[in-house]
Amino acid sequence: MSGSKIINKKDIGKLLSQWNEEFVILVPSKEGDTTKMAKWDGKDTGFIDWYRNTVQASKTNFFPPMEEMFSFQKDKEGYHIGLASSDKHKQLIFAIRPCDANALAILDVAFKDGYEDPYYLSRRKDTLLIGLGCINPYDSCFCTSLGSSPFDSTNVDIMFTDIGEEFFIEEVTEAGKELVAKTEGLREASKVDEAKASKVKEASYNKVTRKIDTRDIDKKLLACFENKDYWEKVSAKCISCGICTFLCPTCYCFDINDELVRKQGTRFRSWDSCAFPIYTEMPVENPRLEKWRRVRQKVCHKFEFFPMNFGVVACTGCGRCIRLCGVNWDITQAIESVPAII
Amino acid sequence: MKNNEIQQRLRQEAKTLLEQGQVEYIVGYETGSLKFTTTPLLTKNKDDTDRLIVNPFIVNNLSVYLTEIKGKVGIVAKGCDSRSVVSLIQDNKIAREDIVIMGIPCPGLIDLKKVELLLSKDRDELGNITRDEDRVVITIDGKGRDFPITEVLFDNCLECQIPTPQEYDILLGEPTTPISGNVSKRTNIKELEATPREERWNFWKEEFSRCIRCYACRNVCPACFCQRCFVEESEPQWILPTPKWQDNLIFQVIRNIHVAGRCTDCGECERVCPMNIPLRSLTRKMYEIVDELFQYKAGMDKNALPLLTAYEPTEAEDFIR
Repeated sequence: MSGSKIINKKDIGKLLSQWNEEFVILVPSKEGDTTKMAKWDGKDTGFIDWYRNTVQASKTNFFPPMEEMFSFQKDKEGYHIGLASSDKHKQLIFAIRPCDANALAILDVAFKDGYEDPYYLSRRKDTLLIGLGCINPYDSCFCTSLGSSPFDSTNVDIMFTDIGEEFFIEEVTEAGKELVAKTEGLREASKVDEAKASKVKEASYNKVTRKIDTRDIDKKLLACFENKDYWEKVSAKCISCGICTFLCPTCYCFDINDELVRKQGTRFRSWDSCAFPIYTEMPVENPRLEKWRRVRQKVCHKFEFFPMNFGVVACTGCGRCIRLCGVNWDITQAIESVPAII
Repeated sequence: MKNNEIQQRLRQEAKTLLEQGQVEYIVGYETGSLKFTTTPLLTKNKDDTDRLIVNPFIVNNLSVYLTEIKGKVGIVAKGCDSRSVVSLIQDNKIAREDIVIMGIPCPGLIDLKKVELLLSKDRDELGNITRDEDRVVITIDGKGRDFPITEVLFDNCLECQIPTPQEYDILLGEPTTPISGNVSKRTNIKELEATPREERWNFWKEEFSRCIRCYACRNVCPACFCQRCFVEESEPQWILPTPKWQDNLIFQVIRNIHVAGRCTDCGECERVCPMNIPLRSLTRKMYEIVDELFQYKAGMDKNALPLLTAYEPTEAEDFIR
């Protein structure tokens, strides 16, 4: 593997400082006992030791829980629109997991479909993704069932692999190659390093033990769409909160609201969830008033509608929806119990 | 009685209830899909009763499902859960004759977040967690480590005064006594009260800045039974659906007032919060205020009027302060 590089783990601070001159750097960060990718403070690299994956996926960095779309104001002459101040800067996300990088590729499709979403896409365009493969996947992870793996580098610019004292670095995209070329303090990887990296990857692949069978899943779901008994059984314990959808790296539904303070208005968009009984309640009411219909929507959107429309399952197997659910509702159990086509 | 004996008896009782047609549904716990985790089991099928379990991880307050299920239900309830059931009866949300309460005297539940913090390991990296009376042994990589049980029980369990269900049809096991002489870890009401007002405001500002408005706290709460929550009203719009910290705070404060006299301190709101907001510091404080002002604890008497719907002319009027 020509061009691969090596850096010692204790030099990560130096590496990030170097990149920090050109980019705003986001790293796995703790925030009140929860975690997300947030601006690096220029010093702390402790995440190398504690980080498995963040509670909030990197989707948050491109599609935040809420954002101002524009402001508006009324005076004698009519309405005036003010565009939201954009925080345009080049950013680099360090140590993103393959599942979350893959999720961004799925969101790209959604946010480009029909209408190009400037808020999401402008942030995406100016961002470099540095992947870090997983050596310690959670018991809720199931990426290997979705054509991916703990070391999938498909959607990152540069891929890091933890080989013990050092990181093995692979260039993936042109942008990644350019950045590596101008980065100082890296040494060329040897055959031994390469072998080490392969071994780590293989071992890690085998640590993902949760499996689902996604063959023909869209067709199976289509066939079982009207199977109320199945959906009622599957949805019984769901409490219709937004944890799974909000923390899902590929869920992208949002709601739009105006805030008016005297004559000064702001239009916000914020996350919305198909799990909520009042979701999409626009002209009359939610056509999915019953819980089983909402759970069906969530599962089918990811495993049936999205693949039918865009050719890819809208789930990357990150396992957050299982890990963080208050009632242990488990999408892999739902998928595994979808009736076979007779 | 040991957990496995309780579990065995529960399975038999639940099966009998379904077989004899005394209930249409059984709501209990079964083994979850993640390590140590349990998950609610809602079933009509008597064969499923063999999956019912009782262990130190049966966290969910299952009474949250009662307002949703149509038909008679046999429900597994710990002390706090049984009070939630009673509270729902008081509020006329469910009828006593439609519920068979299978009560479990609760010795306290193990908080996996505390275990994780204690050992700097995630739950799936641990071997076993075994409780033996007032000790707990946690194994990592085959090596066992011994801790006082109070290190790992939920805060609300440490402060629980009513661990044995008072209202039940079947009591599984002997009544148990409260755990004594322990301090909670996350719920620092005293500490918060001692902080200057501005500092406290900043504390909550920071905490509620993380809220993503997933409403898990509300949806997991049996006392939050409104058909339509005030946050979802658009005419008038009490608060914005946008998760601004101020609106998040107002949401939680109003929710807290709505569940005053209904909250049984089951701690579910705080447990499910994916953003780790210490919600129990608010709900527990409200619980204490209700007790102090009205000498009232939620869900203790199914014949009592719900606290906030009843008024006696003789009542003290200095409650607005």
